Amino acid sequence: MSIRRGLFVVLAWLALFVAPAVRAETPDAALAALLSEARAAAAVPGACSQSGVDRLVRLYCTGKIRIGVREYYPLFGTREGQERIGYDVDVGRAMAERLGVTPEFTRVNAASRIPLLADDKIDLTIATMGHNAQRDGQVRFIRPHYYQSETTIVGPKSLEIKDWPDIANRTICVTVGNGSNAQIVSHSARLMLFDEAGVLPDRLRDEICTLAAQDDSFFAYYFTDPAFAARFDQKFGFAQVPWGVAVALTSGTDRLAKALDLISQIFHRDGEFLKIAKENHIGIGFLERQRAVWNRPECNTAAGNTDPACVLPALSAVLEPTPIAGRVAAFETWMEKHTGIALQLPMFKTMPAWQLFKAGIINSLILVAGALAATLLFALILGALQSSRSFVARWPARLLTIILQSSPVVLTLVISAAVAHALFPYSSAVAIGAAIVALGLMNGSNAGQAIAEAMHSLRTERGGPPAPTVELYGRAVSRSATQIVSFLINAAKGTPIASFIGAPELLSALTDITSFASGRASTYSLLLVFYIAVVIVVVWLCGKLRLWLERRQVAA
Amino acid sequence: MSRISPDFLPQLLAGMVVNFEIAAIALVIGLAVGGLLTWAKLGGGVVGALATTLIGLMRAAPTFVVMFFLLNIIPSDATLFGINVAPSGVMTVALSLVPYAAAYVADNGSEALKQLRDGSPLGALLFLPNVTRAYFVLVMSSSAGAAIGVSEGIAVILREAERMPTLGDKMVLFAIGIVCFGITLQAGFALMRLLQHRLGRLALRSRQG
Repeated sequence: MSIRRGLFVVLAWLALFVAPAVRAETPDAALAALLSEARAAAAVPGACSQSGVDRLVRLYCTGKIRIGVREYYPLFGTREGQERIGYDVDVGRAMAERLGVTPEFTRVNAASRIPLLADDKIDLTIATMGHNAQRDGQVRFIRPHYYQSETTIVGPKSLEIKDWPDIANRTICVTVGNGSNAQIVSHSARLMLFDEAGVLPDRLRDEICTLAAQDDSFFAYYFTDPAFAARFDQKFGFAQVPWGVAVALTSGTDRLAKALDLISQIFHRDGEFLKIAKENHIGIGFLERQRAVWNRPECNTAAGNTDPACVLPALSAVLEPTPIAGRVAAFETWMEKHTGIALQLPMFKTMPAWQLFKAGIINSLILVAGALAATLLFALILGALQSSRSFVARWPARLLTIILQSSPVVLTLVISAAVAHALFPYSSAVAIGAAIVALGLMNGSNAGQAIAEAMHSLRTERGGPPAPTVELYGRAVSRSATQIVSFLINAAKGTPIASFIGAPELLSALTDITSFASGRASTYSLLLVFYIAVVIVVVWLCGKLRLWLERRQVAA
Repeated sequence: MSRISPDFLPQLLAGMVVNFEIAAIALVIGLAVGGLLTWAKLGGGVVGALATTLIGLMRAAPTFVVMFFLLNIIPSDATLFGINVAPSGVMTVALSLVPYAAAYVADNGSEALKQLRDGSPLGALLFLPNVTRAYFVLVMSSSAGAAIGVSEGIAVILREAERMPTLGDKMVLFAIGIVCFGITLQAGFALMRLLQHRLGRLALRSRQG
């Protein structure tokens, strides 16, 4: 027998006898074995009365599975009388049926879905729960994920918005604590914060919000309303989050979790999730892609649900901590323990928040200094023009003053920003510059008017209209010192309004920080203290300026 | 102009009514708080010093920051004796204007009482035109409500401006806003000057009498 022939025989033998032994077990077979073992264990006399009985075995002892679902999440979990409807509910029913037990539903919400699992009040939760790395330490997520949502930006159909560059300098309505807010902020959009997602569609309808960002699963229900769908559309989506069915992360849940992993895998492969999604009129793009994945031979095995090539990773929602995050947390704890004040300082605990906070303080100080300088400059220019004997110089300056006095501060800022953005591409520097010009013009025009009035009084005192000289103008400036100082203080106080046109000063920065972190009360208290302190310093400096100007007047 | 929706002007006028409403609420509360602070300040002692400090802090507090502070510090489900006391958007803007209004009333109230003590009741009456001036300043400042979704005049203008494709169209819209607010402001100042004029004539008559 030649060597080649010998090798052929060996290979044929391997193909016949070894290959069946290493062929991967199908998820169906693995599930059947697991459930059969659990049923047998439950049938052993006295097994069900033992403490710490395995959770999968317990299902067969009681004949039911307790499932936590939402009651106020349209299309996913709602309740009408005794009837529960929605995708999550139907997934729960299908899983219970596959396990061969009766589902018993319990109402959960975003806050209670994890604690109820930990307290063993429910066996699993199917409640629109996004799977992020942080939650991996709290519950055991079933893989593969049963759905995936993304944050979608919704707005009027007439608005041309296709991608991130189109939202720069626009206001987007969001809910506080939404993990995707940080991403929106990083694209130079302004946020308008709301406590509840439920108000967003109404705010879009009454046009208080032009754009709103929220889970696509949330908006899916509203797009079933023809009137809403006729007015609004989804602009683009981002921040995809896989949703997971979850069981408790305690001992005795491993086999239940494994059984659910296999069921989830089979449901994807066989299009069961897809069928339920279609019946509930929700988006099916993710489920179609998953069906293809779980039909791949390498994924359609009992171990497929642990294969990183088949399952999706958890979303990494943990923000990079600052080097002092630990000490800040310790200080917060100490403060609460000794004073009872639940102080929270999110701006010192994560790097994105810290960067925003630092930039906010620097930009605020630039804005205040710029607004003061611009006010003084415009006051001197407009004061000189209004004091001029030339009609051509005097009247345009007066007209500008009247217009600026007649325009509410927010409108003047918006006009300034609109002109600036027509001339330059949007940037933080342009927004700050536009705010400085607007604040300077508003306050400078009033101060300039005061200088012109002082000039007029000086001329009258001299018995006629002498030609304006630098000396006389200097005396007019000294005489109107109180008014100038008053408008300088007003300019400093007005700087936070610059956040309205997207200037990234401290108010803007802290609004962004609180949109993805906790501690709103502490944060805004700190903000108020900061601005009062800044204004007090400006008042003190302006007091010095006034004294100097008044001394100059006395000397003259 | 043709791009501006036909219901813009009625909506703008309705929005401006909200501005007047906010200013009225702020002024009424400001008069009450400012009156108390004036009384405390003139009383002297520790309470007087405290009132003076408080007036100084209120004067220094930027309205826009106070608005966001109130918005974020009062829970949306805040209750007092079982009654929901969480302020609405309009009320939040009005309350944010109270520190300015109260400090203004306290400053001018102190001056008016001083005039009264010095035997010049008409000098004290100048408090009225000053309060009128404060009211119109409050009307203009109430536009800050646009930042928190209050549907006042400026919010209406900005909503309409979002639909405008060109800067020119937006400028036309902004000009309409300035004219509407300008007429209101100038009318207010004219009213104030009329009040001052009447008081001046009264003063002259009383001196001649």
